[in-house]
Amino acid sequence: MKRTLLAFIRKEFAQALRDPRMKLILFVMPMIQMTVFGLALSSEIKNIKLASVYAPSDAAARRLAQRFTASGWFLPVAAEGLAPEDLVVSGAADAALVFPAGGFARQAARGRGGVQLLVDGTSVTRARSVEAYARAIFAAHAAAEAGLPVSAAPFGFDVRIIYNPEMESPVFMVPGVMGMIVCLVTIILTSMSLTRERELGTFETIVSAPLENYEILLGKTLPYIVLGLANAALVIAAGFFIFGVPVRGDLWRLFSAALAFVITTVSVGTLISTVSKNQQQAMLGGFIFLFPAVLMSGIMYPVENMPALLKPVVYANPLYYFTTLLRNILLKGGDHAVFVFNMSALAAMAVAAGAAAYGRFRQTLN
Amino acid sequence: MNAGPALEVRGLSIKFGDFTAVDDVSFSVKRGEIFGFLGANGAGKTTTIRMLCGLLLPTSGSATVGGLDFSDGGKGIKGKVGYMSQKFTLYNDLTVGENLDFAAGLRKLSPAYALRRRRELFDLIAFDSPLSTMVSSLPGGVKQELSLAAAMLHDPEIVFLDEPTAGVSPASRARFWALIRKVTELGKTVIVTTHYMDEAEQCGRIALMRTGKLIALGSPAELKGAAFPGPMVELDFNGPAPAAALGGLGKAAGLLELSPHGMRWHAAFRDRPAMEAALAALPPGASRAVIEPSLEDVFIRLVEGAER
Repeated sequence: MKRTLLAFIRKEFAQALRDPRMKLILFVMPMIQMTVFGLALSSEIKNIKLASVYAPSDAAARRLAQRFTASGWFLPVAAEGLAPEDLVVSGAADAALVFPAGGFARQAARGRGGVQLLVDGTSVTRARSVEAYARAIFAAHAAAEAGLPVSAAPFGFDVRIIYNPEMESPVFMVPGVMGMIVCLVTIILTSMSLTRERELGTFETIVSAPLENYEILLGKTLPYIVLGLANAALVIAAGFFIFGVPVRGDLWRLFSAALAFVITTVSVGTLISTVSKNQQQAMLGGFIFLFPAVLMSGIMYPVENMPALLKPVVYANPLYYFTTLLRNILLKGGDHAVFVFNMSALAAMAVAAGAAAYGRFRQTLN
Repeated sequence: MNAGPALEVRGLSIKFGDFTAVDDVSFSVKRGEIFGFLGANGAGKTTTIRMLCGLLLPTSGSATVGGLDFSDGGKGIKGKVGYMSQKFTLYNDLTVGENLDFAAGLRKLSPAYALRRRRELFDLIAFDSPLSTMVSSLPGGVKQELSLAAAMLHDPEIVFLDEPTAGVSPASRARFWALIRKVTELGKTVIVTTHYMDEAEQCGRIALMRTGKLIALGSPAELKGAAFPGPMVELDFNGPAPAAALGGLGKAAGLLELSPHGMRWHAAFRDRPAMEAALAALPPGASRAVIEPSLEDVFIRLVEGAER
């Protein structure tokens, strides 16, 4: 048993680490994805071109406009010469802040200040962010200028956040991407490696040895569980050193979450291999699983905002629990109740997926 | 080692759904024999071999392989036999040493035993490249010899070779058959499937298969004698055969078989008088020579003849 497993591990490692494509999938692809998803896909909006339209004598308006600029999100652009709407339409500004012609302070003092914010809505995401920022800045401004009660905020946005309720940053994004990478690598590698043996015919040689089914299954999956864990460690280290993602929780929690997740995904990879005739089909099957798994995991879109109809899919998605665990352990230091709940769900999935993989695998041996 | 037959097969059948891949096959193989399976693609050779290696469980019938049966699901049999499938048995992306280490691990051999067996088998196949050689860089013939060594690492009593020489050069085929004979000299039993008639000639006995059934069994000489009790003539018309001559010959009394072989024709007769009568009616220009029937003639008569 031990001898056979060791032989399998040595063989799979030699094959995986010798194949340049595998090395690329294992080591280079995760780094590229971390960079792309961690930095480029961040939904934090910066450099919003803002034109502020007010009378030169309106000091109160100037103070508010300066607060916008000072926030770091907005870049002031010249408002002269064009009507505010034309500024936005022409693309010279992403947003225009239009103060009342009668003077901002006076209007506000009467409790019915009419400040208008024109926002370029071409990108819904960007527009929503602009709204959210503007609201926050105005609230801060109102508080700072004691004369303006917050409750009497002179502009009332009808703000409904349909995108991320959290203002995401790479630190929030990277744990999700880690989960995604580990998922991708383990499912693709496991299913490809098993179908390759079947395709080439070497699988016949393996089953011609007097081995129990579980020995063959373990032999073919254990190396990928180990590789998957190594990959998880690699992306967590990369997140720590490159993106400054903290590791605030216990390492044993991190390890057990990663182990349960990798067992689940390797089992899914095995299941995919039992219905694939060749490596192309295995690859396709892997992606058919991966796309919904990634989209319904809360990595990019908050689960809270998904339609009730789709929520069961989320709760059946191992990546959702793993992402939640990673964020909880890495960023928050591992709240125990959150850990226990998600870990139990993930462990149950690992057991179920493992059992299903074993059952299917045994059927396809004969 | 007990003295019973290496293989004893009784009424072995296997069905995949409605399709009967192997239909009521019975035979036995003596220890130290080279036993060949000859037949077209899909005749059931590979399926039979896979059953006897314990890879497939028969639907009905019984078999003992090396004295063991299928009662344990084929596990005992798997330990007694070595199997070289017709596809790759070695990993091209591993070195020779890594491949043999993996084969040893699959069979749970101790490192010391595996090392000893490896040396013995390298001697047997005269392999002297370094262990760090990538299998992908070896020529096809050497790969097949190495596959055989990997299949024999656990010192099996019976070795099953499924088309071991498919796709290798004629010189490598000859080398491989010399190797098969050496293996039987070590007391092993070799069961081999092949498409090549010249290889079949080298088997001690041959089982001829067609659509899952065993249609003839015997040594090459026995098969020839059974298929062609009378003489066989090779006719050469020095050009295209005249239709009238062929038509006359085809209706001749006592003709068993008339088949084209390139530009020549092979005609088999029930006995010598029938042959002489038929040949007398041929145009004088045709040259004729009495020949020994080949296994190819037997194959055509038994396998393809049955399909007409």
